[in-house]
Amino acid sequence: MELTQVQQDALIELLNIGFGRAAASLSQLTGHRVLLEVPQVSVHPISDLSKSLQVIVSDQIASVHQIFSGPVAGDALLILDHTAAGMLKELLTDEPALPLKIDASGREVLTEVGNILLNACLGTFGNVLRVQVTFSVPQLNLETLNEVLQSLLINREGLRYALVVQAGFRVRDTELTGYLVIVLSVASLDRLIRSVEDWEQAQGRP
Amino acid sequence: MSVKVLLVDDSGLARRSTRRILESAGYSVVEAEDGLSALERYSIEKPDVVLLDLVMKGMYGLEVLEKLRQLDPGARVIVVTADVQTSSRDMVEAAGAAGFLCKPIEPAQILEMVERTTKKGVGWS
Repeated sequence: MELTQVQQDALIELLNIGFGRAAASLSQLTGHRVLLEVPQVSVHPISDLSKSLQVIVSDQIASVHQIFSGPVAGDALLILDHTAAGMLKELLTDEPALPLKIDASGREVLTEVGNILLNACLGTFGNVLRVQVTFSVPQLNLETLNEVLQSLLINREGLRYALVVQAGFRVRDTELTGYLVIVLSVASLDRLIRSVEDWEQAQGRP
Repeated sequence: MSVKVLLVDDSGLARRSTRRILESAGYSVVEAEDGLSALERYSIEKPDVVLLDLVMKGMYGLEVLEKLRQLDPGARVIVVTADVQTSSRDMVEAAGAAGFLCKPIEPAQILEMVERTTKKGVGWS
């Protein structure tokens, strides 16, 4: 399954808007400018998901996971390595990050930041495409990437392919980098592409 | 007597940072970390304004808003959420909230809305 160039361009434009909103929120929270990488969009068989994400993140990660449902449904993840998670806590609380473990205060910071960033991104998609998206309560996981991905697949027997959207970001003047990842089923991907095509058609009309 | 605000949010971080903003401006603050305790605290504390998160464990914020308005049709509720969707804002307005703010919040923005809601009373601001 592949996206046409036109679909890919429209999707990336939508992602730029959504991730831009998330970056603005992160910048407001940390007081630093946030630099965004161009979002990457790819379709993978579920079995290859782990392999494709292992290229960008280390195995030991802190992730915030939110399930979203509605006309377009899927999973959204904020992924950070443990060093970045500690830095984020330091930036937001002025408490030093402890080596080796993420404490209760760090967990709280990560969950709320994940909540704000994922909602900013997906909510912007909802606004642009005029669809209502409902969010689950954010869940913080301190597991390996593989364990996190396995948990996404529980009770999803029908999920064979996934659209993986990844956008790297870096908080300027720090070494804090992380990724936003969205995983969609093919059915949701079809609906998303139709909505994106409608949106693209409507651009520039009075 | 100072104006009392009930903060309802399942994030301790959000509660602490909002509490700091409100207390520095002279407001008195009480907290609840889920919908059920929010209803309980509302009945006991009778706050002047409620700041309510939407996505919480247990009862969803919209349901809490509806129950608060049944409990007290004069309840002044400002929704403070990470959900930036226009449709969510519309639903919240239709359910009788007095306002809608998106996280992360600016201190001036929240103080202005709480003050306006306190003065204006029930109704969208």
